[in-house]
Amino acid sequence: MDRTYFKLLGAALVIISSTGLGFYMAAQWTEHLKTVERLKKMILLLKGEIVYANSPLTEAFERTGKKAGGGMGDLFVAVAERLIRQQAEPFFTVWQEEIDNLPKEVCLSKEDKQNLKGLGEHLGYLDMDMQERNILLYLEQLDLTIGYLRKHKQEKSRLYSTLGIMGGLFLTIVMY
Amino acid sequence: MVERKDELINIFSKDIREILNRVSVDFNEVQEIRLRAAGPLLMIYRNEEYYVATNGVLSQERTDAYVASKNELKETMEYMSNHSLYAFEEEMKQGFITIQGGHRIGIAGKTILDESGIKTMKYISFINVRLSHQVKGCAQPVLPYVYGGGNDICHTLIISPPRCGKTTLLRDLIRQISDGVKDHPGVTVGVVDERSEIGACFQGVPQNELGIRTDILDCCPKAKGMMMLIRTMSPRVIAVDEIGSREDIEAVEYVMNCGCKLIATVHGSSIDDIKQKPVLRKLVEERTFERYIILNSQGRIGNIDQIYDSRGTQLYKAPLQPVGKLWDRQEWAYG
Repeated sequence: MDRTYFKLLGAALVIISSTGLGFYMAAQWTEHLKTVERLKKMILLLKGEIVYANSPLTEAFERTGKKAGGGMGDLFVAVAERLIRQQAEPFFTVWQEEIDNLPKEVCLSKEDKQNLKGLGEHLGYLDMDMQERNILLYLEQLDLTIGYLRKHKQEKSRLYSTLGIMGGLFLTIVMY
Repeated sequence: MVERKDELINIFSKDIREILNRVSVDFNEVQEIRLRAAGPLLMIYRNEEYYVATNGVLSQERTDAYVASKNELKETMEYMSNHSLYAFEEEMKQGFITIQGGHRIGIAGKTILDESGIKTMKYISFINVRLSHQVKGCAQPVLPYVYGGGNDICHTLIISPPRCGKTTLLRDLIRQISDGVKDHPGVTVGVVDERSEIGACFQGVPQNELGIRTDILDCCPKAKGMMMLIRTMSPRVIAVDEIGSREDIEAVEYVMNCGCKLIATVHGSSIDDIKQKPVLRKLVEERTFERYIILNSQGRIGNIDQIYDSRGTQLYKAPLQPVGKLWDRQEWAYG
């Protein structure tokens, strides 16, 4: 009697955790999409600061970061603060290091981070036209990412949650 | 003093920063720091040119000098512009940028042209950092001449060759007129600071003291700025640096016809020099300016050589000066 009870309890736990994992993966997909959308808004704000207000990078990053808030906002503010400290570090180095230091809660893929680092490679360099084109190029990349994440959102959400439940059931049957 | 040195050396590349950090002279007396790609690091200190050695010692021997590389100049440009060269696009077309603290960085390299003129500059291989000086009280000797009679301020033109302290004198004149001095209450002063040299505004806030009744239009072309100030801020006095173009002169006439008083500076060494300039000659002949203050660097930077009235009558002539410090602070100390 006790053995059956424990088996049932174990099976329930496996199914619950596996289902939870599935739903968590589905939520991560949505969170990833939200983060990239928020990043796009921030880049648009940054473009406005640079192209229309002619603000230097320190000012543009600080203002955009404070306005946006959250993990990504903190990244922008941290970059601005390091540049203001004038520690003889090139912008690209500061930018790369701060992206690597992003907390795990910020839901960005390895590829997203690589693209974001690419934006910093030419930022600040040469004239205003160059800044605008560089930002527009990155915005195109973001649009592609957002398009992909949106297109597959429903299908992936369903897939992850179903896989979670089915995987739990499968494991339970195998272990029974 | 330390702050000024720190603020200044932070604009240089890492290696040059370390060398300048070892230099033990008073940075308030440093006039220029010059960098050239594959050339020696030079410093103009108390009117004398020195080579800067790697150990920070100022030397007259060229062999001691630290030689800057092209990459160091590139790095220096990145830090000088706050990692944002694009934000100085318009200034770069004119060959200089103004940084926090009001210091002017002259640059030269290969110019890129388009139909409208100079588009930008690349391969920047020559950098000249001209340090801005705020000398409170240096306008004290000229104030009695600027206040013609009663509380009336005269239209004044400060004539000076480059590096003789005309902007420094103008800055202190603005401060004293705005704050008010003994027997003369302060008045509203509008400043058009085209090159951010007078107020050295950083994010709109002046870093130099220009007085409590001063409004500054930063980075604005002088001609447009003078008109804008009159329409918007109703100043009693308008101050501008380095007038010379035809548009400037038209704006000057507009300002004077509006009942505002004008204080301006111009490059030159005498009234005759000014008469040689076609656009300025008219103003002199029409006796537009009521005071001409002529500066030179005899004995010290900012030496007030002569003062004339509108008819060309000499009101003041400086006695011969012994060679002295960059600015004689004690003599001009003014509370």
